Parts: sequence; C-alpha cells; structure tokens
Amino acid sequence: MAKRDRVAAIGVGYSTTGRRTGLNRRQLVAQAAKAAMADCGISPDQIDGVVLHAGVAGAEPPGLDWIDALDVAQMLGITPITFYNSDQGGPAYFHAAISAIAAIQSGQAHTVLTVRVINQRLSSAEERDSVQGPMRISGDSQFTMPFGSVTPIQTIAALPAQRHMERYGTTEEQFGAHVIAQRANAVLNDEAIMRDPLTMDDYLNSRYVSKPVRLLDCDYPVDSASAVIYTTEERSRDFAKKPVFVEAAAASATDILPAGFEKLLDLNMNSPYHAAKTLWSRTDLKPSDVDCAQLYDGFTIIVFQWLEALGFCGEGEAGSFVESGATRLDGSLPVNTDGGACNVGRRHGANFCIESIRQLRGNESGARQVKDAEVAVWANATGPFSGAVLMTAD
Amino acid sequence: MNIASINIPESATAAQYPPIPEPNMLTEFFWEGIANHQLLILRCGSCGTYIHYPRPICPTCLSMDDLAPAQVSGRGTIYSHTTTVQPFHPYYVDKVPYNLIVVALEEDENIRITSNLIDFPNDDIRIGMPVEVTFQEVAPGLTLPLFKLA
Repeated sequence: MAKRDRVAAIGVGYSTTGRRTGLNRRQLVAQAAKAAMADCGISPDQIDGVVLHAGVAGAEPPGLDWIDALDVAQMLGITPITFYNSDQGGPAYFHAAISAIAAIQSGQAHTVLTVRVINQRLSSAEERDSVQGPMRISGDSQFTMPFGSVTPIQTIAALPAQRHMERYGTTEEQFGAHVIAQRANAVLNDEAIMRDPLTMDDYLNSRYVSKPVRLLDCDYPVDSASAVIYTTEERSRDFAKKPVFVEAAAASATDILPAGFEKLLDLNMNSPYHAAKTLWSRTDLKPSDVDCAQLYDGFTIIVFQWLEALGFCGEGEAGSFVESGATRLDGSLPVNTDGGACNVGRRHGANFCIESIRQLRGNESGARQVKDAEVAVWANATGPFSGAVLMTAD
Repeated sequence: MNIASINIPESATAAQYPPIPEPNMLTEFFWEGIANHQLLILRCGSCGTYIHYPRPICPTCLSMDDLAPAQVSGRGTIYSHTTTVQPFHPYYVDKVPYNLIVVALEEDENIRITSNLIDFPNDDIRIGMPVEVTFQEVAPGLTLPLFKLA
C-alpha cells in the first residue's frame, strides 16, 4: 500500500464501564460514539460509514435490547451513509476494525465509526441457575457438552494452557508473571477497574476455575462500549488529534469449528500464526521495530500464543520471555500497557486498539506512556479466528 | 425424516443429566452406535479421510456420495486435559472437580474426541497417555463414550 493511501485512526472513546451498570446497549453505544467524535472534533456529516459489533459473547443477561449499525447511524445523526456492517461473528473488536479498514481502502467509505458494545455476561452461578430442566444440545456441541465441556475457560484457555505446560515446560509461575506485570500497568491507569498491585502469592493463591486456569487468568466481564473512528490519510490531519496509521492489518480463520476449540489441530499454534505471517508480509517493519504490544488477554495463555506467533520470542518460549521481565513497562517489549482486559474490563478487544492509538499519540498515557513509541501492534482472539493490526505514529 | 431422540424419564431434572445430545440427520448414526457400544466415525469411501464432526462432504476430496460410518478401535492418546473446579451446569455441582480430556484417535490423530477419563486420579493425567473407549450409562437412558487407561 502506498503510504498516502493508508487508513488512519483519528478518534477514540469509551462509555461508562463497570459491573451491571444498568445501561443498555443503546445507551452505552451513544456514550462511546459521542466520546470518540468529541475526541477528534468530528461532526456526523463527516462520517459515511458505521460498523457495530454488539454480541455478548457468552450467556446473555435478560432485558438487553438489540441494535444494529443502522440504529447507531440514525441515533447519532450520521446520515446518509455508504457503508454499514452489523456482523456479530469473528474475532472480537478486530472484526469491526478490519471491516472499517477494508471499506476505506476499497473506497466504499472515507470515514467510518466502529463500535464494540458488550454487556456483562451471566456469571457461572447465574448461568447454572438459568438451566431449567434437562438441556438438549444440537449441533456440534452435542459432541462436547455432554462430557462437561461447558465453558470457554476449559476449551480456549485450560486445554491449550495445559498443553503449553506439558509440551514446552511452561509453569504456572510464568502465567502469574504476566498477570502481575499487566496489573502493575493497571495501577498506573486511572481508567482501570482492578488497580491493587498483585504478588506471586496472590496469583498462586487465587482459585482455579479449570486447571491450570485461575480466576486471575480470565478477563473481567463488564458492561462497556468502545468506539474508534477511522478515515483516509488524506483527511486524517484535519481533526483535533494526531492521526495514528494502520501500517498493516491481517485477519485469519483456520479451523472453522463452532463447537469450542477442542478440535483445533494444534491447540496453541493456530490462526494467530497465520495472521502474524500475513501481517509481517504486508510491511517492511519487523518485530524488533515494535515499541509496545497490546495482546488479547481473554485468558493469559492467549497472550503467550500471540507473543510467539508475532515472533517476539520462539515457539514455546513465551513463559521464559515473560518471566525475564521483557513484557513489563520497563522491559524491551511493554505488553498491555493499559492493564489488559483483566484489569480495564472486558471490552472485547477494543481496548488493545485504543491503547495502541493513545500510546502512539505520545502524550495520552501518563505514567504508563512508552517513551518515543512509534510502532504498536494489537491483536484480538485466538484459535480458529483472530486478527492483528500494526500501527504507526505520524 | 424420523430421527431417534435419546429418551429419558419425564421426571428427569437438570441436576440428574448432563447436557443431552440431540441427534440430527448427520449425527444420528454416531449416537445409535454409542447405544450399541460401538464408536463410529464418518469416513470417506473415496479417499479414506475420517470426518468428525459429521459433515455432508469430505473436506479432502469433496466426495458427497461415498461417506459412511466406520467403526474405529476406540484407542488413542490424550492430546490435552483439564480438571474443572467450578460448575457451570447443575449436573456438575456435586461432581466437581471433574476431568475433561481430548483424545487423539489411533486411526487419525487429527480426529479428536472430547470425553472424560474414568477410574484414574485427575492430578495424575498426562498428555500422551494411551486410553481406550468404554461405554457407560451415566444416567437412565443416556450412554456416553468415556475413556479408561489402555
């Protein structure tokens, strides 16, 4: 891609975020979109595309209304538009971002608002109590759920983590080193929810959900909406904030398996490897050029998978890489500088994009600012589908 | 088309039954096989590929007319495992901690069966252990393919 044709991220915003806020989808979306528009000083008539990703990605609480991208455009006075997408599938917020980036690159729109709204899913106890009578399972899950494979913590996290440990010698302390390091970043982020420093004892004493995965390895379910506005490079310098550019973006789907992740041919080396290979093939930059990495931490093992897939360390070496301190704020590759979704709340991937943009603007991350950050990579999801974006400062 | 459901007593409760398979026209053979204590996996007669979960087309040669259930040995090795501590379904409230295993089948290690390992301590389960299928009626009317050490 010629440099002048790059897509730029120009505005970011969050809604009120927290546990059971009492806000429905429409309210959360309106807050985040308005915040992102205010962030860059854009008016509705300057936007011609809207992408909304709105699923709960888990057991949904009752009473949420449903909205799509057209509702969002109408509600915000963004009319007429030439591009819209309300698809609920795919790898978290990345799915919305890649849709907007592709629309701008292809000329279907010049400026696109993306929003990921996600409400706090039911807790395990609420989910359990919602089961009335014997449950009948159709589809592929009939081969997994009757054996007690009933939560992604088992399939996305525990089975891969256990295999990572037995195959590569990864230890629970190494998982803990990551959890502690990103909590230390959250301590510096006044938008984070979990802000008390953690020790290794805290980690090792926290309860298991499904071994070897502990509660502290899981992101923190909240109600939240996150918005990012993208535009063409040509327009990108007309707004209030310094633009941040999409240097390269890559989606991947490998094994398409709706019933959990058990059938992935390799539980650890799957679509992130393919996405990363594609990403690096689309840029002259290299892993050693990256100043900070914002890697999906739905579960700790996913961060390890991305560190290896993106080439920051070798296959199976993420445990020792993290344990060395390399991913701490003062290390060679600061990771999840906002604290990650375990600490800022489950914004389903969007926080990794927004934190990348803030770091590359250079003056918005306060005490957690990575000095002279010029290149950031963010990544979402894992297993059968995922995606990664490389961003650069102006 | 008449598809045989798995019949359980009307009085059954969620605490007595794990999630119950609901066979469809592609999966009915599998659960009929389990009821008859046979592990059947769909196989392509044209190229020999095992296909699991059942699909109407072979992903290797795209054959659609030559797919049929084939009985497999029921032997394999543990590909990964976890011990689940927190119950997400009423059936598991009094069964935690319980193990979940993924078995790579002897016939084709890329065919993976999710199940449970019985008669073995959870903490001693390791990847690579040889296992073989055994059929158990876990609740009245519901037989599942479980595994034991081979």
